[in-house]
Order: sequence, then C-alpha cells, then structure tokens
Amino acid sequence: MKRNEYDVIIVGGGITGAGTARDCAMRGLRVLLIERHDIATGATGRNHGLLHSGARYAVTDQESANECIRENMILRRIASHCVDETDGFFITLPEDDLNYQAKFVESCLAAGIPAEIVDPKDALRMEPALNPDLIGAVKVPDGSVDPFRLCAANMVDAKLHGAQVLLYTEVTGFIKNGDRIVGVKTYNHQTHKSGEYYANITVNAAGIWGQHIADLAGVKIGMFPAKGALLIFAHRVNGIVINRCRKPSNADILVPGDTVCIIGTTSTKIPFEECDGVRVTPEEVNLLVEEGAKLAPALASTRILRAYAGVRPLVSADNDPSGRNISRGIVCLDHEQRDGLKGFITITGGKLMTYRLMAEMATDMVCKKLSVDKACETAEIPLPGAGVRSFREVAEKIWENPTTVQKAVAGRLGTGAARVQAADSLDQSLICECEEVSVGEINSAIERLDVNGLTDLRRRTRVGMGTCQGELCGCRAAGLLAKAHGCTDRAREDLKEFMTERWKGMYPIGWGDALREAEYTQWVYKHVLGV
Amino acid sequence: MRFDTVIIGGGLSGLTAGISLQEAGRKVAIVSAGQNAMHFFSGNFEDIGPARDRVAALFAAAGVRTNAMDGLQLMPMGSFRPASLTLEDVTVFPDEHAAEKALIVNFTGFHDFYGTFIAEALEKAGATCRIRFVHLPEMEHLRLSPSEMRSVNIARAMDEHWEKVVGDIRILHKDEDLIILPQVFGLRDAAVLDKIRTALPARVAFVGTMPPSVPGIRTQMLLKRRFEVLGGTFLMGDEVTSAALHEGVVSSITTRNLDTARIFADHFILSSGGYFSKGLVTTPTQVIEPLFGLDIAFPENRNDWYDADFFAHQPYMDFGVKTDAELHAIKDGQPIQNLFAIGSVLGNTRKEDFGTAAGMAIRTAFAAADTIKGGNV
Repeated sequence: MKRNEYDVIIVGGGITGAGTARDCAMRGLRVLLIERHDIATGATGRNHGLLHSGARYAVTDQESANECIRENMILRRIASHCVDETDGFFITLPEDDLNYQAKFVESCLAAGIPAEIVDPKDALRMEPALNPDLIGAVKVPDGSVDPFRLCAANMVDAKLHGAQVLLYTEVTGFIKNGDRIVGVKTYNHQTHKSGEYYANITVNAAGIWGQHIADLAGVKIGMFPAKGALLIFAHRVNGIVINRCRKPSNADILVPGDTVCIIGTTSTKIPFEECDGVRVTPEEVNLLVEEGAKLAPALASTRILRAYAGVRPLVSADNDPSGRNISRGIVCLDHEQRDGLKGFITITGGKLMTYRLMAEMATDMVCKKLSVDKACETAEIPLPGAGVRSFREVAEKIWENPTTVQKAVAGRLGTGAARVQAADSLDQSLICECEEVSVGEINSAIERLDVNGLTDLRRRTRVGMGTCQGELCGCRAAGLLAKAHGCTDRAREDLKEFMTERWKGMYPIGWGDALREAEYTQWVYKHVLGV
Repeated sequence: MRFDTVIIGGGLSGLTAGISLQEAGRKVAIVSAGQNAMHFFSGNFEDIGPARDRVAALFAAAGVRTNAMDGLQLMPMGSFRPASLTLEDVTVFPDEHAAEKALIVNFTGFHDFYGTFIAEALEKAGATCRIRFVHLPEMEHLRLSPSEMRSVNIARAMDEHWEKVVGDIRILHKDEDLIILPQVFGLRDAAVLDKIRTALPARVAFVGTMPPSVPGIRTQMLLKRRFEVLGGTFLMGDEVTSAALHEGVVSSITTRNLDTARIFADHFILSSGGYFSKGLVTTPTQVIEPLFGLDIAFPENRNDWYDADFFAHQPYMDFGVKTDAELHAIKDGQPIQNLFAIGSVLGNTRKEDFGTAAGMAIRTAFAAADTIKGGNV
C-alpha cells in the first residue's frame, strides 16, 4: 500500500468534515481530511454559536426539532468544555400573537423538548435584559456552543485516532477509474505543490462549496446559498438565550457567548459567486439592531464589536425565495445509487447542532460500502478537553496562573488546559488582554494545533476576538509567530491580512466607539508602528 | 472666571497654542480630559514644514529637546519613515544603511518591542544583527500581574535602574557600531538618554514600542509644566459640558468639575481631537461635533465613509470641522468670530494649508494663536 492511499478522503474542514473524520478514524479507517483554507472558515465559524434546543423548528419541522434536542443532550456530555448551559427563553411581545405560544409548547413537547411556560415577571427576574413589555415567556434548554473550539476538538481527536489533516490544500479534481472515484487531485496554497491522494471512498463535506466539489466529480447537486448576517455586541448583555415566540423570522435570536452576545440572523438568497466574500450591508446592520432591541432593549445602546455573515449550505427543495422554509434536515447522498458514480458520498444540509449525527450517517454509509462492522461511539466518548464538568478541577492544574487566566484557559481548553505551558512567569504574560490569552497558550497552540498564521491562531485561542479587535495583541502574537516560524516577512504580511480581516467586520458597524477604536488602530499601525 | 483665551483639549495642539499665547502674556486656561494622542506619539513631527524652527524653539524652552534634521526614522516594525523634526529620543539616520553591525537589546518577556522585525530591516540594508535580552531582578515585581510588562512600567523601573541595564549591555556588546534599545528610558527626565549614550561603547538608537509612548508622555508632561510655569491654568481631568453662543460669538463655557461657575473668555480654541478623543462623534447616520454643533461635511451613505482595505486611506479620516481661512470654526454656514478649531478635530479638511498628523496639530495651533495675538499668520 502506498503512502498516499487511504480508506476514506473527506473534503472540507468545517464541523461536518471534522466530525466525519473523527467518526471514521474511531471506527478504524485510515482517514485523510483535506481543507482548502483553515478549520471552521465557512458556515461553521459564521453562525450564532447557538446550542439549539430544537424549539425553533418545533412548529414547522418536527424531525429537525427532534434531531436537535437529542444532539443537544449529547453535546452537553461529549463537548462540555465547548458548551455553556444557559437555557433559553421564547418571548411573546405585545405585537405577537400570544395564541402561538400554546401551539409552540405543544409542538416542543411532541418533539421531546422540555418547554415550560414562565410568568413574564418571573422571566424578567431570571433574565433582566429581556424586553420588559413581554406578555409571554417559555423556557427551553437552549445554550451556546463555541464552534471553533468544537471543530478543533473534533480535529484533534481525529488525529489522535490516526487521521491525517491537510490544511490550505484545495481539491482541484478527481481521479476516476471507470464509474468509480478513486482519488483526488490537490493543490497546496502554501507550498504551491500539486498532489494526488487515493481512497476507496471520498466524502464531500464542503458545505455550500460542496456543489462545486460535486461538479468536479461530475454529478449535480442543487444547492441554495442563503446568506445570514449577524452582529457581535461587546458585552454579554443577556445570560439566557432570547428568541421570539413566533414563526422564525429575521434577527430573532440573541445568544450570549463567552464575554459577548450575538444577534442574528437575516436570510438573503445570494449567487454562488458571492459565497467566498460575503459582506454585511448597512441595511442588514440597521435591521439587526432594530429587531435585536425588541428582544433586549439594552442592545440599542450597547457597543457593537463586529458584523459578519455566513452562507447556509441548504439543498434546494422548493421555490421559496427566502430559503427559510427549507428544512434544516440532513441530506446524505449516495452518488452510486443516485448517479451511478461509485466511491463518492455527499453529506450536507443539517446544521452545526446536528454535525455529529451527520458525521454518523456519512460514516455509516462509508462503513457499509467498505464492509466495516463497527458501531458509532461518538455519542458516548467525550471529545478531548471535555469530561471534567467543573473548571475548578482543571484550573487547579494550572494553579500558578492568575485566576482570571485560569478561568479563560480552562473555559477554552477544558482538561487540555493542563497542557498549556506555564513553566515560569514568562509564559503567563498576557498577549491578548481582552480575552486573557497568555504567551504559554499561544505557544502551545502554535506547537500542537497546526497554526499557520494569526487568523488560524485566532480561531484556536480567541486572540483578537475581544474589544480591541486585535489592535494590540495582533502585533504581539505576530512577534511570537515570527519567532516560531523564523520568518518576519511572512509574519508582517500575515499581520496585515489579520488586520484587514478584522476591519472587514468592523466597518459595517463603523460608528461610535467602534470608529474610535478603528481610528486609534489606524494611528498605531500607520504612525507608531509603521506597518 | 475670566480668561483671555480658553482652550478645549490639552493635547499637542492645545498645549502648543496655550504656551504660545502665554509667552505673549495672555491669560489662558486649558480644559483637558486627561489622556490624549501624545500618549501614542511616534516622536516624529510629520508634515511640520515651515514651523520646524519655531516649534523646536518653543519646545526647547519647555525642556523638550528635538532633532531638526532631515533623514529617516527606524520604525518598530522595521520600516523607515522620512523625518525632518523628531523628539530627541528618535535617532534619525541619513539612509537605510543604519549600521554595519547592530546589537538589538530587549527585555526578557517584553512583547511590545519587535527586535526580529528591526533586525530583518537592517539586514536587508546590509547590516549584521544580534538580538539579546536583558533581565533585571528589580523588574520581577512587574510579572506578578500578567499585563504589567508594558512600556511605561518598564520605564518607571528604568528611571531607577538604568545603570544596571547599561552594565549588562556593556557585557553583551562585542564589536557592533550601533546599539538599538526600546524607547523605555527617561520617563521623568530625558537626561538619562544622554547618560546612556555616553556610557555605551557604540552609537545608540532608541526605537519605538507599542503604546503608551514613553517619549510622548514625558513631552506632554513637560509642555504642561511649561504652560503652568508661564502662568497658564490647566484644568486637568475636566471636560466642557456646555457653551453659550450669543450673536455669533462664544461668550462662556461650563465644565463638569466647576459645576455652575461659568468661564468667560474673549477667545476660544477647540482642540478636542478626532474620533478617539471624542472631538468628533459618529452615529449610524451622522458625524457630529458635540460641543458647538459645528459644520462637518460627510457623505450621506455610510458605505462611503470607509475603504474595505484597512491599510488604504480611510475617507472618515478626512471628515472634520469646517473653518474659514483663519481657522474660525463654521456653524450653520457662518464663521464664529472668536472660536478657532485646531488639530485633529479638523480631520484632513485643511491638508493643503497645514499638512496632516502632528505637523498639522502644531501649525494650526500657531496659526490660531497668531490670529488671536493679532500678529502675522
């Protein structure tokens, strides 16, 4: 057997690909995952980070709702360090129909979602950020989940089980033998080298870009790119997820995550050409702020950190122009049955919440084709970093760090925090003060987590995700990367890219304090540092 | 309370105008919120143009020494920038070939100074470089908190222990003709800079760090002291809460700390800074000068305020208070005869006449002060 031969090749380094790689590897398959950018660069890193209870879909889509609540309970177990068990409210405002509430609760219960009507006054006591005009509230087991952390944990565990991962490597074509896909052709954007890798089965887990991958393989999938815009506020205004108790609509979910909260989303059909560079428009920003303030009035006067947008990988089912009525259901295509093309599977649709189930379905199909008889264990075996419920136990292992840093690191890495270097006070020194990221944590990430640049580092450590949006920590981290990679030219270019990427999310909300920060950053980089 | 002139904002522009007026015997008050852009100053008076000698003299009288020399400033990330007037901390090189051999010295664990970037820049220009680290037990207390290893804290330790560091550098030094140090010396007294230069066996160049800027803070302190020695009133940590306008002139202001007491003056100077300093305030639809409601030109569509490329010229940096030729601020299309706008609150609206950045702050300050004094503009 040659070095570049595998049982299964997975295309896509989002949460679906990472989860599938983990599942396949845990079932003993030789796995190669190929991603053209970094992990979690598509829709995985561009959503609410909502741990859906499923309640949102209960009225319109019982199947999705039931999938959600089951996966919700599983993620609390296997990814405890990625999950914040906040609970959620579905509130009814005076302009909403209170009759919807009864139907909503009934549908939730039918789907297996615990839903409890709470007196509006009690709801306000539990979540003071709520719009005080509310006339109804239902409590459900929503939560928040850190998609970067979740994706990284799946990737790390896949590798621990023997999977190989190629980042910044694009699939440029397929190698066919008659009516069978037997491998992929690749191009590495960093080394600028082409490659060929062989496997019995290739899994297309490329999200919205999966249509293009299918095209390369010679089969057609009708995908439906629906852009969703979101805003991050600089404070954790609410402690409990807030939803509107009505038919799903624009900007009706407010999710607390780490030190911030996120309002979203919109839904706009966009052409495929725009999927790679989606931008948030001023109109979308205005709508999100306006609707968000109806959920929590404090949002109207809270500083916005940034705007971003993702593209939902939905599979066309009907002619609805908004894309909202399409089921979030999972689509797992066996192209041998569907198109007569052997050795090729597409896993798509679904959502962050159901990634594990999607991975299980795809892996079951792979195993069946390869006649591998091993049951899925991903719902039982915790991800690396999970398993310890209280951060205190973890924090004790890194006791020599200051307490705020202990909390931040244990929150990000779970039990993996014990691995963060803290040999001496030098490692404790903070690089990112907004998010409390230390020298030790950054060096650990550079060593262990395939960090190619600052943006990769941000996805793994939260460097630059805080209030200053990388203005100070960007330079400091660039210094560490220059040292680790031994190349300052690359580090400087990388810093420029990092700042440009940060700015992309800032200028759509460029007024008030955000513009003050931007002006200061401009001054520091241009006049003080001379970048 | 009555003054000849009240200046709103105590940054580079406000202090320059204040000192200039006090030197001419005027009675001036400066209302200052506290920190200002001096705390992020690179030490390079970009665009100073014809005001070079005049500001050098004004600063010298305040104890701030400058280099009036055309050349290149070595920047923290390894680029070179043209300079014609700098603070004395900044070494100005005639060209990019700054050294044959350079020794770059940093403090262990100090992440706001980038030796590797500087080394690479010098090596491209033909130099060989060594980067070495020094560590003092006297700085150990800074590490007790993980965010304490910053320029100003190190500078405080250096005010006391600079001789020990010099001793360490002397041991590290071999045959280099240039020693590069971070700008963390002389926070209280710039005389230390000369002492270090004399004590080390090669030329010494101090290169900038991440903010705060130690040379900038020292300069701000000295200029404020000079203003007060000349008899000026510096209202520190205060801010203007309202301004009274009658028949096209400003008659008085109130401040937060002085409560109901009104401050009257013949002239007012607005040097309240740009967005960061809140001299200009933005909402989703407007750019506002919050104190007087002065006229500002800006595009209606917010998309036109920005360039998607962070490092490109940003249109919002051009927005600022409208003024007439003599820097009288304009409100509702009419110049206010005793209100002058200077410094960053102008944005780049007067770029053709006064340049940009620190040079603009100083040149507009002189221009307004001269008009008030009735002298030549």
